Amino acid sequence: MDQKTERKKPLRLTDDNFEREVLESDIPVLVEFWSSWCPPCKMMEPVMDELAEELSGKVKVAKLNVDQNSAIPARYTISGVPTFVVFDKSKEMQRYTGAQSKKQLYLICNAGNLL
Amino acid sequence: MKEFHNKECTCWNCPAINLAGKVDFRACGQSPKKFEGGLSRGETHLMAECKRRPELGLFDPMSMTFEECSEWRETPYGYLLKNMRVMIVGIDGYLGWTLALWLGKLGCRISGVDNFSRRGWVKERGSHSVVPISDMNTRLHAAKEVLGLNINFREMDILDRESLKEFIEEEKPEAIVHYGECPSAPYSMIDFEHASYVQKNNVMGTLGLLFTMHEAAPEASLIKLGTMGEYGVPLTGRPIFEGMFPADAVLKWDDREWSMGGELTPRDPVSFYHVSKVQDTFNVYEACKYWWLRSYDVMQGVIYGVHTEQLAADPRLRTRFDIDECFGTVINRYVSQAVIGYPLTIFGTGEQIRGFIGLEDAMQCITRLIAKPPEPGQYGVVNQMSGYSSMRNIAETVKRIGKKEFGLNVKIQRVENPRVEADRHPFEPIFDKLPKEFGFVQQDALDKEIVRMFKLLTQRHVKERIEEKEHLILPKTWWSGVKKEVERLELIKDENGNKNGNGNGKNGKESRNGSKNGKKETVTFDGR
Repeated sequence: MDQKTERKKPLRLTDDNFEREVLESDIPVLVEFWSSWCPPCKMMEPVMDELAEELSGKVKVAKLNVDQNSAIPARYTISGVPTFVVFDKSKEMQRYTGAQSKKQLYLICNAGNLL
Repeated sequence: MKEFHNKECTCWNCPAINLAGKVDFRACGQSPKKFEGGLSRGETHLMAECKRRPELGLFDPMSMTFEECSEWRETPYGYLLKNMRVMIVGIDGYLGWTLALWLGKLGCRISGVDNFSRRGWVKERGSHSVVPISDMNTRLHAAKEVLGLNINFREMDILDRESLKEFIEEEKPEAIVHYGECPSAPYSMIDFEHASYVQKNNVMGTLGLLFTMHEAAPEASLIKLGTMGEYGVPLTGRPIFEGMFPADAVLKWDDREWSMGGELTPRDPVSFYHVSKVQDTFNVYEACKYWWLRSYDVMQGVIYGVHTEQLAADPRLRTRFDIDECFGTVINRYVSQAVIGYPLTIFGTGEQIRGFIGLEDAMQCITRLIAKPPEPGQYGVVNQMSGYSSMRNIAETVKRIGKKEFGLNVKIQRVENPRVEADRHPFEPIFDKLPKEFGFVQQDALDKEIVRMFKLLTQRHVKERIEEKEHLILPKTWWSGVKKEVERLELIKDENGNKNGNGNGKNGKESRNGSKNGKKETVTFDGR
């Protein structure tokens, strides 16, 4: 694979950087709450990678691991993975739990005319 | 600088990480109480310890990569833990013994168990390994003498859980490769006794191993051998995904749609043996879900070959090579048949398509999987094959090489098909993960390996051992339960050397799915 052209990857969120990267973001943020023991989360990886590339500059695509970070999932009452939450101007706009096709994720991001 | 497939893996993947008590994997929705576990006040991310480097104290397991860690050393197949402790279950078998020597030479500390049942099954069917193999003591001495390897072997049936647990606690393996099953479809179809034996041996053996890992080695990765035969061949022609549906596979019903991402794909096993493998799949999947064990389930195509550098280093180090109807795999058997002038036998039309992989390539794949351990709780599936082809094309290839390189007069003959399977069927396997995520590059080209097989099998003492067991080549085990040798049908006509044996009309070339989104590129079987 060509490593020279750096492809955008989803941003890795933590309890520490969530405030800055999500709530203070200038553009909408799609956050996937995920876990390594969750097969649907694993199957979302290529889709999230593609979205990070395709939505670059319009929507920030990010992931937060619920086992490595406990505060943010608790604050947002994440009770299943994968959960996709769209934030805009620090507010939660959309939330869906379960694997999503790329088309569905586009629709989720676009529901508030974010794109 | 080399680009290793596992350079960005972190301690989160590493079997040396000690997560005990530091993380509550149930925190997401299942935990009965609010979890505070390993997180100290003011720190919100996970901290863990390293079993190999206790001097590091508590640290963020995501903060160090394999590339940065002094315990992970460069090898041709990615970074490997130095003196990585690998236990091989079924170390006396065709794959197990080969892997022991292969990984040993890469600097792994090898332990292994076996109860020599494979030797017993083959003997029970009246056959023997046509390549002579040594007993385990001789093997171990030769491994030490020729290759400088110390292999810690213990004779054991893994159904004896107490002994297995004791050995695992003693060895503390960081990866366990599970080859310890009965690998024969025909053997499981002989009668009830054989079917139930195979299912009990395989399913209970694996289940016991899972419980033992849960108790004694929860952070080790389990590399479990499955088979492409678990999937069957879906007659809809839909792709045969790697264990699970991708996120963009969508179920449409009642004007609504759902992503199937991460759901296990349907299995359609093709014998009672394959049923045991499917049951294993579910048991491993559940163990990862319940206990956060880490596993790769390897759906292996039909294996062929005799060669690795280590096996060839001394006759005492050779791995077994079977040709009987139960334990001989198809390419290995075809080469043996060609050597003794026995027509290559294709079942029915011979247009059944299967995935294949060479012995050396299978070793490379397993090494690359060990080098990139699954994350906690991850159940991953790879389809391990380097190409696919119709049986008839394979027979044509063996015939061509036998004739051209070794001057053999090789014929191909149709015989009745004792199995219940479609002769003609669509086949679109996906086998992208090993090359794309694990850096697998095929080294063991089919033609090259067939030549190596011919060279070994045409040696007089091997040829004589094939001739001794010639009467065991034709199948006698019918899926219907009938017991009779299959009937020989017509010989395939050979007018100009290439008129026959072209099942897919590609003149000896076959397909490899080299890209996603269903776009296929046509390349040769060997991936060139």
